Amino acid sequence: MTEVWIIAHDATGGNALAGAARALGDRVVAVSLGAGVLPGADLSLTVEVSPELPVEAYASSVADLMSARGAQLIVTDATTTGRLLAGQVAARLGGGPAHRPSVVSGDSLQVTRLVYGGVAVATDEVVSPVCVLVVAPGALASGQSAGAGQSEAVSLTPTSGLRLVETRAKGGTSVDLAGAKRVVGVGRGFAAEADLELARTLAAKLEAEVACSRPIAEGVNWMPAERYLGVSGATIKPELYLAIGISGQVQHLVGVNHSKVIVAINSDKNAPIFAHADFGVVGDLYHVLPELIKSL
Amino acid sequence: MRIVACIKAAPDDADITVGPDRTLDFTRAQPRIGAYDLNAIEAARQLADQVGAEVVGISVGAAEWDNTKLRKDALSRGLDSLVIVSGAPDADSFQTASALAKAIAELGECELILLGAGSSDRYAQQVGNQLGALLGRPTLNQVNAISLTDSGVRVQRLLEDAEQVIDADLPAVLSLTAGANVPRIAGMKDILAAGKKPVTQVAVTPVEATARQVSVLAPEQVDRRRQVVEGDPSDTAAQLAAFLKSL
Repeated sequence: MTEVWIIAHDATGGNALAGAARALGDRVVAVSLGAGVLPGADLSLTVEVSPELPVEAYASSVADLMSARGAQLIVTDATTTGRLLAGQVAARLGGGPAHRPSVVSGDSLQVTRLVYGGVAVATDEVVSPVCVLVVAPGALASGQSAGAGQSEAVSLTPTSGLRLVETRAKGGTSVDLAGAKRVVGVGRGFAAEADLELARTLAAKLEAEVACSRPIAEGVNWMPAERYLGVSGATIKPELYLAIGISGQVQHLVGVNHSKVIVAINSDKNAPIFAHADFGVVGDLYHVLPELIKSL
Repeated sequence: MRIVACIKAAPDDADITVGPDRTLDFTRAQPRIGAYDLNAIEAARQLADQVGAEVVGISVGAAEWDNTKLRKDALSRGLDSLVIVSGAPDADSFQTASALAKAIAELGECELILLGAGSSDRYAQQVGNQLGALLGRPTLNQVNAISLTDSGVRVQRLLEDAEQVIDADLPAVLSLTAGANVPRIAGMKDILAAGKKPVTQVAVTPVEATARQVSVLAPEQVDRRRQVVEGDPSDTAAQLAAFLKSL
């Protein structure tokens, strides 16, 4: 029987992770850091965490607990907290975590990852006795989500040196790009932030989410980082991806090339995006978009 | 006070070419410091200037650092000195973190160890997380702002749906966001001064790899219809609308 361990730090994400982890084994054991008993797991080791500490302060005790219980396959989510827990736990157990991999074979565990800004895909075979995987949403086919739901309270000691002073909820709505059926992507073809309204109007008509290329999120900061598509951002697999004013650098393409249909609007007919599109319109987005919105 | 900025040089991905068999050719790709690593140098320099501290750059690497242009580039952006730690360029995050941990221990007292969001070649975003665990020091990722306090540092950290304010004792290991600062562009004076700054080499015994690399290949191209229209916007928009309705 293969046992998969997960580290949960919130109830919703923890249950989703438990369901995904079931793709890798037949028994899911969760170390639940303040996330309670997870119905998706077979056994939850519930840990009460201090509200005055970031949960990552428990990373080394989590590693010691997992080591004592013989955990060999450990999965975390790809959130900021999930990644830090994964790296710290793996280091304590003597290895490196695989980052946002796709698991290609579970026999000898093979995982793939993007390298060189998306230019290539590396396939690795995990050889360390303990394997830590950081999985992105959708990377594992999520199987049956209900687990046995047993629990056991465990007391863990945090390490010192970090104090959580304050947590402020971020304004704005959160977005699930990975689950979106249609996505409209905006790039530097837009001359001003206010002009993004054109893309938003189109997206509303298409019932699509709005996303962007890296310069829009990390250059001019017109959109939040979680809406940016590409190798260091989100990866999507929608039925339709419509790229507007995006040239189509490889770093962007790796985030969107699993879309079923790709449509591009760009004023430069030599833009690389057209080689990766099913339908392309060469033209000024400021002229094409209003016409397109009218005809939909 | 001493602040360490960890950086990595990797082949410039804009100049990597892909062969017909999907293998990569690096002949034209010069080594470059990762774009996100520049955030670590910049943050280190800004904090160091506030308190009169020293900034040491550390990089795990090999032959790529023989390139004087690369050395000057690193040293012209705010480092006072550079330490090259022996290690394979394709080392995994645990191997890199282990080599850095040994080199930092040899360096002696370091109050703050800064890293970027991720390297330009692997982008695992894990070296800082693992380095902190190996050094047994307070560790955070996604740090968007750092201010020095009487007893340590106060950082602003970005989560997916929230922002945390965390106080950390020193020494601490912090990995920054890409938006934490705007890295400076070196001037002529900085580039000239860079040639005179000390570069030292440290040899460390590498640890075992976590994984065995099976292959590195360009992704398979997805077959697309590549239908492209051009001309009067009302006309092309109508064609696009018809295409979208046909889906």
